[in-house]
Amino acid sequence: MDFVHYKIAEGVNLYLGETEKFTTLTVKVFIQDSLAPETVAANALIPSVLIQGTKSYPTRTALVQKMESLYGCAFWTDVSKIGERQILEFYFDAVSPRLIPNGKQVLKEGLMAFGELITDPLVEDGAFRRDYFHKEKRNLAKMVDGLINDKQAYAVYQAVKAMCKGEPYSLYKYGERDQIERLEPEEALRHYQELLRSNPIDVFAVGPNLEDLPELIGAWPWQRKSLRELPPVSVKEEVQEQEVFETQDVQQAILVMGYRTAQRYLSPDYYGLLVANGILGVFPHSKLFVNVREKASLAYYVDSSLEGSKGLLTVTAGIAPQSYGQAVEIVRRQVAELQDGVITDEELTRTKIGLISGIKKMLDNPAAVIDRNLIGIVHHELRSPQTVLESIAAVTKEQVRKAAQGLRLDTIYCLSGPKGEA
Amino acid sequence: MQVIETITNEPLHFTQMANGLPVLILPKQGFQKKYAVFAVHYGSLDSEFEVAGKGVVKVPDGIAHFLEHKLFEDATIPVFERFAKFGASVNAYTSYNLTAYLFSIIDFFPEALRELLHFVQNPYLTEENVAKERGIIEQELRMYDDHPDRRIYRNLLNALYHRHPIRIDVGGTFESIGEITVDLLWECYRLFYQPANMALAVVGDVNPAEVLDIAARQMEEWQYQAQDIKRLLPDEPDTVNKPWIEERMSISQPRCYLGFKHNQHLTGRRLLKQQLAMNMIWHSLGARSSPVFAGLYDSGLINDSFEAGFHGTPQYAFSMAGGETDDPQQLDKALREAIADLQKKLLNTEQVERIKRHILGGYLAAFNSLDYLANSLISHLFHGTSYLDVPEVLESLTVDEVNQYICEAFDLDRSAVSVLLPE
Repeated sequence: MDFVHYKIAEGVNLYLGETEKFTTLTVKVFIQDSLAPETVAANALIPSVLIQGTKSYPTRTALVQKMESLYGCAFWTDVSKIGERQILEFYFDAVSPRLIPNGKQVLKEGLMAFGELITDPLVEDGAFRRDYFHKEKRNLAKMVDGLINDKQAYAVYQAVKAMCKGEPYSLYKYGERDQIERLEPEEALRHYQELLRSNPIDVFAVGPNLEDLPELIGAWPWQRKSLRELPPVSVKEEVQEQEVFETQDVQQAILVMGYRTAQRYLSPDYYGLLVANGILGVFPHSKLFVNVREKASLAYYVDSSLEGSKGLLTVTAGIAPQSYGQAVEIVRRQVAELQDGVITDEELTRTKIGLISGIKKMLDNPAAVIDRNLIGIVHHELRSPQTVLESIAAVTKEQVRKAAQGLRLDTIYCLSGPKGEA
Repeated sequence: MQVIETITNEPLHFTQMANGLPVLILPKQGFQKKYAVFAVHYGSLDSEFEVAGKGVVKVPDGIAHFLEHKLFEDATIPVFERFAKFGASVNAYTSYNLTAYLFSIIDFFPEALRELLHFVQNPYLTEENVAKERGIIEQELRMYDDHPDRRIYRNLLNALYHRHPIRIDVGGTFESIGEITVDLLWECYRLFYQPANMALAVVGDVNPAEVLDIAARQMEEWQYQAQDIKRLLPDEPDTVNKPWIEERMSISQPRCYLGFKHNQHLTGRRLLKQQLAMNMIWHSLGARSSPVFAGLYDSGLINDSFEAGFHGTPQYAFSMAGGETDDPQQLDKALREAIADLQKKLLNTEQVERIKRHILGGYLAAFNSLDYLANSLISHLFHGTSYLDVPEVLESLTVDEVNQYICEAFDLDRSAVSVLLPE
């Protein structure tokens, strides 16, 4: 699906993807900021404060009740991290107007409430409402503490932190406890108003009956001044070759191996890297799955994932603690095989088919249709599904080998149970 | 083939094949993906049954899930590879009530559908591959053991139930999977894997006649034994096993769930009604639109992890509400008070109508998800309900009926609390 672009204001873009196939109309708003220690916690907190109430519906109960009465308009906020950008995300969907009584009016009211939430926040004496702000601050701090409850996510983050020490990418997208505790409602409001005035904002909508959207979204109380360009992602060439061990009371050990890549989203041979990652660890036929799980029965799960903006490839596996050495060795060997060009025709074809199917499947999910553009808006280069599909189809074994040769192992991290109990 | 129109004006095709297999096909125009589920009405709860000529048989827990893993084994080409060739992602899951084998695909749908039907009909079980699987499942169970959500949930069910197999993880226990043998796997396979006890659902831009044709051809040679299945559940007392259960693990904040055991086990339209009414009630207490939620949230007793809902099938019915909290005792008390308060005040028309609209909106939105549709079509079929009946049953629920559930479904004597505390 190709998006039609509208300019709403300076630095505010609207992209419309009209389609009849969905029963909903989905809108997502992305506000970008640089990932930085001074602002990371504020950017994480603000969306959850905004959702507590708006000028028209000053409590969350009133706001959600309003949305429910509009045939369950759904809305939520979050923050995400793409390379060294932090992105405030606002999600909204409404049932397709043709499926419900007074559909157009329902959509209009829902979008108005949603737009107000983002562009015209509830304030008191030059600050976010203090009770909401402090409550959400406490909740965010607890949520950050709670990362430790999800051992896999915790392990991956600790590995990235060790790997990117000193780089903005090492920041947790929700901030750290001390950064959160320092936040004040006046300062945070000033910061958010600055984001609204000058930072890049992109609005995407997917679904049927989009004809009214430029007008409806254009009518939100935007307060734009100018567009502030954000700096590009930083790139580090050298690797550390370090091993990091951590112990906790866990049944299963989690191994994370972090590699730096030579290619990134804007590199001409980026899709060689994407295919290399696929051959290594994305599919059931991938080298890691076949060798670590199936042949050696070493892990319940093992996969590799690519962060194409910063240029990181991470391999994650759940293993028995005593298998650490063996598992690391097998992963190293699989990467070495890729670098030596030991790739069968079958591996290449299946990986391409898998990646291509994955992209086509995204086109069947409204949120995914939108989210696949995030890396593109960060790098000022949106790519249509067609372009990406053709690029993947054209990748050769030689390009995969070259991309794999750019992989350099930086950090091996392992979270396991206390010694003696393993 | 019977054709029933959905509320979104799409035609659902339904038929029962000559061998007894129900087939549900929902063509979705404009979608790239095709999604198919081939499911067996056989889940982790079915560990005791009556076999003609053998009497009552009790097998180790976790067999349904073990079989699910094992069916991916093949004498020549691993099942994953057979699908990878077509760019299909093949997967499976086991729940309390069913085992489902599924794939999603863009091109080569007919080929992949044949593979799906083929591998489920042809188990390849050896002493060696069964022994190896134990290691993999053990890792899987260990992984779940490290999940606080899974632990507090299992503990709650252990507190609510004395003997019911819902107490045990779908995957079984370390001990029970050690007792699973090739012969036991075959025994369960032969009993449950027969067309009349299974169903096929396909959702996507497909041709229904072609799907049926492939299914008929691919099952021509299947050597199954048609036999009656009599599932047995142990006698479960009305009371709860214990009112309070707690455990410590490495987590950052305590968690607390209050659970209710409901003794009304229904099927068909009555089950659908029960599910909708109970979900409306929990919505009125635990959703973000609820003043009860707001009160608990503002007092700092809960956060956004809070959830509340009903879980019911013909074999069990329970509710649970809770999440992270700094004060489990206080949260338990507040929830009980909120329920008692609701029993006094009941819900009014405005509230019920709003929640109905919300549920209807969610139902309509779910038509975007082929996976969700296919799995819902199957699970409703196995429960003797129809997924397409949801809007009509929802519409028919009156305020009085919902309020009757409020008065009758919550017995504080049949409740239990599960708490996880940081170490």
